[in-house]
Amino acid sequence: MNNTISQFFQSAGHLLAELEQSLAPVLPGQDLTALAAFAVYVLIILGGGLTAVLARNLVRAMMGLVVTFLGVAGMYLLLASPFLAFMQLLIYIGAVCVLIFFAIMLTKNTSDGEETRYPAVCNVLLAVLAALAPPVLAGPIIYKAAALIPTRTPVDSTANLGEGLLSMDLVPFELISVILLAAMAGAVFLAWPHPGGDKS
Amino acid sequence: MDLSLAIFVQIIVAVLLIIGLMVGNAVVMVYMERKVAGFIQRRPGPYEVGPWGTLQAVCDSMKLLAKQVFLPGNVDFILYYLAPILAFLPVLLLFLPVPFGPILTPLHINEGIVLILAFAGLGVLSNLLAGWSSNNKYSLLGAGRAVAQTVAYEIPMILALLAVVLQSGSMDLAKIVGQQGQYPWQWNIALQPLAFFIYLVSLVGETNRAPFDLPEAESELTAGFHTEYSGMGFALFFLSEYANMLLVSFVCASFFLGGYKGPFLDGIWWTFIKAYLIMFFIVWIRWTFPRVRFDQLLNINWKWLLPLGLLNLWLTAVLVKFLV
Repeated sequence: MNNTISQFFQSAGHLLAELEQSLAPVLPGQDLTALAAFAVYVLIILGGGLTAVLARNLVRAMMGLVVTFLGVAGMYLLLASPFLAFMQLLIYIGAVCVLIFFAIMLTKNTSDGEETRYPAVCNVLLAVLAALAPPVLAGPIIYKAAALIPTRTPVDSTANLGEGLLSMDLVPFELISVILLAAMAGAVFLAWPHPGGDKS
Repeated sequence: MDLSLAIFVQIIVAVLLIIGLMVGNAVVMVYMERKVAGFIQRRPGPYEVGPWGTLQAVCDSMKLLAKQVFLPGNVDFILYYLAPILAFLPVLLLFLPVPFGPILTPLHINEGIVLILAFAGLGVLSNLLAGWSSNNKYSLLGAGRAVAQTVAYEIPMILALLAVVLQSGSMDLAKIVGQQGQYPWQWNIALQPLAFFIYLVSLVGETNRAPFDLPEAESELTAGFHTEYSGMGFALFFLSEYANMLLVSFVCASFFLGGYKGPFLDGIWWTFIKAYLIMFFIVWIRWTFPRVRFDQLLNINWKWLLPLGLLNLWLTAVLVKFLV
């Protein structure tokens, strides 16, 4: 019994190894499993993101956002940083999405999304521009400087984690609070009464 | 390749066993809840089906399996069917880092407690989704209460767990259990009594159980967020609610009560005895205390548990800094 099971897994392992070898000329120097996982996560992120942008119903759009966050958490797992992945789930799905949902529930919202209108062409162009900005600005830096990024020690104790957050990663850690500040400022700006009676 | 395949198989086997544990737990808890409620209210509880009514829960689950899954009109059916599935699936992952016995931990992971807290967040989302997509004012009110309550009670719960994490210097449940001794005075409850108390109160709030069962208050909201669900839709919510109760009990046992360690002989039996004693405690207070009002519920949390949790965390930090 035990023997058959181990044989089964051995043959499965051989099969995967063969597949990897046959694909090696097409994709040199790549781990096939990691590549497949990357492709799956990219599809999840894209699907979720498109749902979030194109859905007429606000709650469905928010579910698209949840799916996107799940995909991003998967990317972090693929980068071998499970702590960051779980934090992504805890903060973005457990807190941010729930608060968005709460805001949707407090407004008048019907399930057929009667209040949504298709955006103007100018807005669509601006949105595409905004989406292209991060990869165009940050992409070359990441591509060039990938070798400079030091390898991290795994988070195996709280002392280790705290030291990392307050020494080497201090700048990104503080920059996250700027993002929260921007979100808060945006909310205040939207709620502020606009002079001249804006219709939005 | 072989190592990752082995871990993959390990996770699959663990998830299958966890499904068995969830179903078995629901059957045991339905019987226990009805029997304990009966004794507390001076009536016998179920006693017709099987010896001492033990087969009652099995009959109930057969009935649930056979019932029609009803779809109300004017409902966003994708979200309506997604909600119970979203309630059920994350629970399967929640049990992975729990150390059931000295060697029996489904998945060794350094960030165990963070994994549990992260995937528990999906449960709140499913409650909200169920309440919103039912297109029913009772469900919507229940969902609104669920979010305000769960978001509030998550904070003292995390603060209480954080104090223990700070003290033991690890987020791995197996390591936290490993640092505790065999006898009750060597458990974390002796070092962190305040954190244990805060955790015990907020776990009742977090699992939406009476006296904090505002999201599904029967006498006010029919059944709260799952009013419109019948058959297996309801059964999935029901299963995941009991599984969540079991999970917070396991976490409580591991963090504060020494997990699998106990007098005479360490082993899986101590984990289950401790977890089910906490489950009994949850059932006991459900049938003893009346339901609180919503403002009272939030006042307990924001005015008492949160300051106490912060104070406890600060004290722990000072003690860890100067004593260890």
